[in-house]
Amino acid sequence: MTNTVATHEAFEHPALFYRDEQEYVDRTVSFVQEGLDLGEPVAVAVPGPNLELIRDGLGADAQAVHLLDMTVAGRNPGRIIPAVLRAFADAHEPGRVRIIGEPVWAGRSAVEYPACAQHEALINAAFEGRAATILCPYDETGLDEEVLADARSTHPTVLAGGTERISDAYDWRAVVARYNEALVPAPDAAVFSFGVDELYAVRAFAVEEAGRLGLTGRRLDDAELAVAELTTNSVVHGAGRGTLAVWAAGEQVVCEVRDAGRLSDPLAGRRPPARGQIGGRGLMLVHYVADLVRLHTGDEGTTVRFYLGR
Amino acid sequence: MDASHGAGGFGPAHGAAVLEVGPLSGRPGIRARGEISEVTRPPWEAALAGLAREHADVSYVELSEVGFVDVAGVAALAVTALGLPRGRMVVEHPPPQVPRVLGLFWPGLGRIEVAP
Repeated sequence: MTNTVATHEAFEHPALFYRDEQEYVDRTVSFVQEGLDLGEPVAVAVPGPNLELIRDGLGADAQAVHLLDMTVAGRNPGRIIPAVLRAFADAHEPGRVRIIGEPVWAGRSAVEYPACAQHEALINAAFEGRAATILCPYDETGLDEEVLADARSTHPTVLAGGTERISDAYDWRAVVARYNEALVPAPDAAVFSFGVDELYAVRAFAVEEAGRLGLTGRRLDDAELAVAELTTNSVVHGAGRGTLAVWAAGEQVVCEVRDAGRLSDPLAGRRPPARGQIGGRGLMLVHYVADLVRLHTGDEGTTVRFYLGR
Repeated sequence: MDASHGAGGFGPAHGAAVLEVGPLSGRPGIRARGEISEVTRPPWEAALAGLAREHADVSYVELSEVGFVDVAGVAALAVTALGLPRGRMVVEHPPPQVPRVLGLFWPGLGRIEVAP
């Protein structure tokens, strides 16, 4: 299917466009079995129902595969590179790994989708030069044409109808840029401006507001930690101060930190630091605990918005 | 440095980030009081460096009077534990950020024991 042997050193990132359940099972199961035959560690991170299809298709071989429900492990798309893909690949270095990752499914909301597209694009940067094959299935009948067009831009090759072709539209940087969408301030948010002397106070404000809006227990603790990391980043990297906004949106509480800094590294928060390094986990923490992270950066500053379910 | 001489007038109740760190009495290790964040990181890391220098078998880090530890503060704990040549570090009564961040970024780190 993928020409694994001939390009053994390269990173491969094909999109798989599938039209029905049978095609999905045929392609994904043969991809996994090819990896097992080559002795490669294999992980599958796809939405629950699809995970069951692959598990059933693999039979006893499923025991040799690391299986994850992507709606849990990858609910926040920004978490997938460090916590799912790099975690698996790094644990098996220097050997080649094989992963099925399905981060986009029918039902992803319009608020989530830009983060999904950027995630798919950034896989190419995160795995450049790594010995890995990451196959990303796309439901050709259930997803919008715009989503499929983006998949052609975020994957160097596309596998459809049993044939793998180089994608002429491949341009992951353009997708990162296109979905770097401005985040419009919420009119009904509670707002707190902070500098270095207000780091404690802004954190206390976030806890009070998020609690008032219905976060409790670990979710409230996570909001406190995430706000602490973002506000600290603003003070250290974002011209010394920033603004926190907190509001409710449907079943979620949203916290947003704006500052005048510019985030120049597109992989910030997605590149796991060495185990023995103290810094470099602030934005990654936000990605790990939140249900969704949206980010906008430009000459006018940076906005990071995270969502936590109530 | 000795937290036992801390006279109050600091800590989250007063709306500022303050940290006092000192040695434990009667056993190896340190105790801290206040919060561990960007502003208070230098004394925290210095205390952990001292703990590592004097470490023999088991060192204790008593955090019952710490209200908050940020990710880099937990990272400093984990990195200190990783660098111990032998034995382990026991973190006593930490605020919830400590087990949460250890679980996310250093799962199964045997050199740290968290005693709730």
